[in-house]
Amino acid sequence: MILSLVKADFLKIKRKGMWLLCLIGPFGVVALQMVNYGVRKDYLFDQMDDRWLYYILNINTFTPLAIVLGIVILTSFMASIEDETNAWKQLVALPVSKRAVYLSKFTVVSCIVFLSSVLLFLFMLGYGLTLGLGADIPYLRIIEYSFLPFFAALPVLGLQLWVASVSKNQAIPVTLGAVGVILAYSAPLLPDWVIWKWPALSNDWDHSYINALLGIGFGLVLYVLGMIDFKRRDVK
Amino acid sequence: MEYIVETKHLTKSFGKEKAVSNLEMKIPKGEIYGFLGPNGAGKTTTIRMLLGLMRPTSGSVQLFGKDMKNNRIEILKNVGSLVENPSYYPHLTAKENLEASRKILNVPKKRIDEVLQQVRLHGVANKKVKGYSLGMKQRLGIAAAMLHQPELLILDEPTNGLDPSGIIEMRQLIQSLPKEYGMTVLISSHLLSEIDQMATRVGVVSKGKMIFQDSIETMRKFAQASIQVKVNDNEAAWRSLLANGQKADLGEESVTLQAEDDEQVAASIRYLVQQGFSIYRVQEEKRSLENIFLEMTKEEQAG
Ligand SMILES: Nc1ncnc2c1ncn2[C@@H]1O[C@H](COP(=O)(O)OP(=O)(O)OP(=O)(O)O)[C@@H](O)[C@H]1O
Ligand SMILES: [Mg+2]
Repeated sequence: MILSLVKADFLKIKRKGMWLLCLIGPFGVVALQMVNYGVRKDYLFDQMDDRWLYYILNINTFTPLAIVLGIVILTSFMASIEDETNAWKQLVALPVSKRAVYLSKFTVVSCIVFLSSVLLFLFMLGYGLTLGLGADIPYLRIIEYSFLPFFAALPVLGLQLWVASVSKNQAIPVTLGAVGVILAYSAPLLPDWVIWKWPALSNDWDHSYINALLGIGFGLVLYVLGMIDFKRRDVK
Repeated sequence: MEYIVETKHLTKSFGKEKAVSNLEMKIPKGEIYGFLGPNGAGKTTTIRMLLGLMRPTSGSVQLFGKDMKNNRIEILKNVGSLVENPSYYPHLTAKENLEASRKILNVPKKRIDEVLQQVRLHGVANKKVKGYSLGMKQRLGIAAAMLHQPELLILDEPTNGLDPSGIIEMRQLIQSLPKEYGMTVLISSHLLSEIDQMATRVGVVSKGKMIFQDSIETMRKFAQASIQVKVNDNEAAWRSLLANGQKADLGEESVTLQAEDDEQVAASIRYLVQQGFSIYRVQEEKRSLENIFLEMTKEEQAG
């Protein structure tokens, strides 16, 4: 049941530009560094002995922003596809459980954001190689900074999907999302418990995997809460 | 009797207001059930509860003899529905729209072409639904409802937005369903005339209460036209008819005959002429659904 729902959801996002968004996000993040390194490569090379690490950290200043913004747009799109002609009623009147309907939406958004992470990995590595940052390519670090922000952002995904699916007006999740993007951008100023800080992968323990684990755990909690609330409500 | 749809004390409140109140709906197999009521009567709310889209405040819904609360998915495998305005994905074509439901319903791909043919959308199947007229969107909704050849088809005001020829096509299609596929159909409307020609049973709902539920023949008796006679002295004519044992009502400007067939009308008029009354006008007045509703509610209160 869940597999056919996911397939149907992928069909529904056709021509909605969501795949384009999936490409633009990681490309934009790397393109900003293309400008940065294009303009003042020598200066940047002098900043740190480990040029690869410095490059990766530069990329990571914009990754959280892109991920949070992407999640806000994707979840709101997913909900608005059903909101537009109130297709929720038609969807839920099919022989499917409301829980599966919600899980399917969550899965589709996760898949797209995950694919963005894969693209980020490829773009980050690819552009890095052209810069001549050194012969020792830190694959593990590149993987870390490509994929862990995704896991760390799962609570934001859970929250945004929840609000987007139960709101009658998409202005509510979009407003919440805008606040989230600002918070994600101000990550260094925030305490560790703020979920919007997590995709930046910085914390007091200096272990980025903690953010990812917290993200998976708390993301799961928010997903379950959202699903229960979605199931409980009468269909719009 | 075995009922395909049976609700017991079905009630739904929104805040203090009861949109549906103690509704007992019974639909036997193979019937076309016309669900009538004025705007805001609670038709859509009832249908939403039949489909498990809304939870009843109290009471229960049973479809195919199974309780909706515990068997929702199993029941919905055999139910097709169109609730209120048709829902669709405007950026997809009619085929893609049906494909999205087909994937979930798990029926053969050829069903898509079949239902598109049935609602005469096969010519525009590959156009985006965004550009469809209201009537075409409505047809698409009906096609989606029939995709899995459900045993029960629930259509909420399906003729909304259809042109006269579309309404006739729809009527023919709906009438053919019980015969050809053994389907049971629930169709809501606020127009008696629309249901009159296809329904075999009728339920009338008003302010959330079921005030009439019976066969269409019984309903027709209520809906019969009345004959109004304008005479030089209405009151005297009325008395004289009553004295002669004929049923009549005195209105403000006319006498209304409660005649059941043409011969009785003829007999009453002949009698009045013989009694020397001057008859100015004899006119037939079709009673509107609103009048019938009023009459039914009145009887409901009296009984
Ligand atoms: N979600 C809701 N919240 C609050 N009130 C509601 C809601 N849905 C319906 N109502 C109220 O319930 C009553 C019945 O509405 P319903 O839509 O069932 O009527 P209807 O018979 O389908 O009317 P129509 O012929 O206009 O479609 C109305 O008074 C309406 O205002
Ligand atoms: Mg309605």
